[in-house]
This record gives sequence, C-alpha cells and structure tokens, in this order.
Amino acid sequence: MASGVHTSRIVRNTARIAESFGFEAHMTLFHKTISMTLRSKDNAHVYSTVSTAKSGAINFEFNSELSALSWEAYDNHLPLDTLWEKFHAITSKPRMNPWAVWILVGFANASFCRLFNGDWIAVAAVFVATLVGFRIKQILHFNHYFVFTISAFVASLIASITMWQHWGTTPDIAIGASVLYLIPGVPLINGIIDIIEGHVLAGTARLINALLLIVCIAFGMGITLLMMGGKLL
Amino acid sequence: MIDWQILGSVIADAIGAAIAAIGFAVISNPPRRAILYAALLAAVGHSIRFVLLKYAGLDLASASFVAAFSIGMLSLAAGYRIFCPATVLYIPALLPMIPGMYAYRTVFSLIRFLQSSGNDNEAIHYLLEIFKNGITTASVLFSLGVGATIPIFIFYKRAFSMTRAANRPKRQA
Repeated sequence: MASGVHTSRIVRNTARIAESFGFEAHMTLFHKTISMTLRSKDNAHVYSTVSTAKSGAINFEFNSELSALSWEAYDNHLPLDTLWEKFHAITSKPRMNPWAVWILVGFANASFCRLFNGDWIAVAAVFVATLVGFRIKQILHFNHYFVFTISAFVASLIASITMWQHWGTTPDIAIGASVLYLIPGVPLINGIIDIIEGHVLAGTARLINALLLIVCIAFGMGITLLMMGGKLL
Repeated sequence: MIDWQILGSVIADAIGAAIAAIGFAVISNPPRRAILYAALLAAVGHSIRFVLLKYAGLDLASASFVAAFSIGMLSLAAGYRIFCPATVLYIPALLPMIPGMYAYRTVFSLIRFLQSSGNDNEAIHYLLEIFKNGITTASVLFSLGVGATIPIFIFYKRAFSMTRAANRPKRQA
C-alpha cells in the first residue's frame, strides 16, 4: 500500500497468487489495515486474516517486480517456498544511492523552475534551496508532517533571499518552485485512480493524506512569507 | 517552412520536463530501465501540452487532459516493451505537469487574504485569486489523473498482464 501502488493492483495480484494455489481471495483494503479471506474452490476451507499495512517509502521497483512475480506464480504454479524466496530477493534490493537521488532532485526542481519561465538566477536559487531542503528531508526521520513543514520552510527561506536582495526578475517563481519537490504527486494520482476504479475509501484516504502534506508545505512556506512580510508584493 | 523559434522553445520545454521527470522519478525508486522511458514520456507529454497551450489556445485543464491521455497510451506501449506496469512509467511522467505553481499561488493568496483585514477591495481581490488558482489546481490534477487512466480502461486486459512472462512469445494476451 505504501510503496505507491494503486489499490486494485494489490487486489488483483493477491487474487492471482491465491488462484495459483486453488483458492479464491477476497480482500478489503484500507489505509492502515488489510482484511482478507481465502476460500478454497470447493468451499471446504475458509481462512480469514486481518493485518496492519506497513507504512514505508514509495518504491516503484517493488511495484513492478512484485506484479511480475504474481504472474509468474500464476503461470508456473510456483511452490510457496520459492515464492517467499523470490519475494525476499525483491524486497531486500537496496534503494538507489541517496546522494544520486539528492543531486537529481536538485536538477529536477531547477528545471521545473525553468518550465515556469523563471530566469536563470531563480533557477540557481531553486537548485540550492532544493538541495538543502531535500537533504533535511532525507536526514530527519521523525513525524512526517513536521519534516515536510521544516523542509518547505528552509527551502522557501533560501529561495526568498533572491527577493530580499532583489536578484533577478522572477523571485516569486523561485519561491513558488522551491517547495515543489515536496508535492506528494504519487498519492495524489494514485488517489484519483483508486476513486475511478471504485476503491473510493482508499482513494479518499490517500487524497486526504496528500492534502495534509500539502497543507504542511503551505504552512512551512507561509512562515517564510510572514517573515518576509510586506516585501513580497 | 519550420519556425525554428517555435521548435526551439518546444525542445527546451521537452528537455526541462525530461530532467524534472528523472529527478522526481528517482525519489520513488523505480526499476532502472523505467527511468529513461519515464523521462521520454514526460518530454513528449509536456511538449504536447506546451504546444496546445501556446498555439492551439486550449485552456490548461483540457491541454493537460490531452497530454495525460497520450502519456497513458504511450506508457502502455513502453511498459509492454520493458516489462513494467504502466503506472510505474506514467506517474513520474505526469509529475512535471502537476500544477504546483497554482497550488502555491492559492496558498499565497490565502495568506494575503487573511492579512487584508479592514480593506475590502484587497480582500475581494485575493478571494478571487484563491478561487481562480484553487479551481485550476483541482481541475488540472483531476484531468491528469483521469486522462492517464482512460487508456488503461480501454485496454483493460492487456494493461494488467503486461508483466506476465508467459505473454512474451505469443505477443498477445
């Protein structure tokens, strides 16, 4: 759930694995809990379980590899131990080097600023602001919302130096773009996909979660704007 | 006759979108082989939107819808080639089109609105800004999500068996 996959894919992949063992799987997914019932085809055995959905970072590699694994299980009728073995092999893969991610995010947000017609001074300011802000987000590991607020505050503060010093012609774009790396795009889009596919509750939960993060970003940016006060218009 | 200035601005736009997509894609740790394709999709999608906005006179939401629809279509084809679910490709490709600037302006005007006590003219101005930018943000987000999902509904069967190894030799689900 947390690795950034939309709800109906989880349901389908699980049902697919269950079917390869001759069971039917029915599940209800909420943001924090999964309840699932397995039923054998002849209705002789029924198993139910409720478990907590772990929260974690978005990971598209799990998303695609696990989906491939579920098809493999379905097509080749893999035994359970092989399945577990492959599952652990996939989930223990290391993430990308955080420093590489760090630099790439900096460039990404800078080119974002360029797409909004910011001038090169604004682009440079956004680059620096993003590097600092994103590093803060990588280092701090306590409350999610608090980290987002701080990160947004620091990034927008650095970008607002351009406004304060009257560097360049588009400081407003620099401030606006400096916090965009925080926008939770994946849950926003997944939430809409979920709602369209009929998982309205799960989708709404995702959207509300994303909305809370956006409010945090806005709050962090708001602190900067208040500090800069009347100079901003 | 090709207008080089138009072409240049479109290419600059595409490159910017591609870099942005790579950066935002790596946050969510995709499979390596997907990154390049996601960047390509983002470049195509964003330049489609750019052209529609600039030269076809469409509004932001409809242009985003068309761009998201083409990204969704292409992500199905690309996902089939490189053995990835389409969502892994199109979500990073959509990210550069998320209307962050409008979201920012909504919040910004909200703060200014709260500060404009006692001055009704100013308050009305910022109220208008809040609604203008807020509605744009919401409608663009919605059209991005819907536009990219429609191709998946059209090719329902195929979209969900893309990572299936057994499909490869037969070339069709």
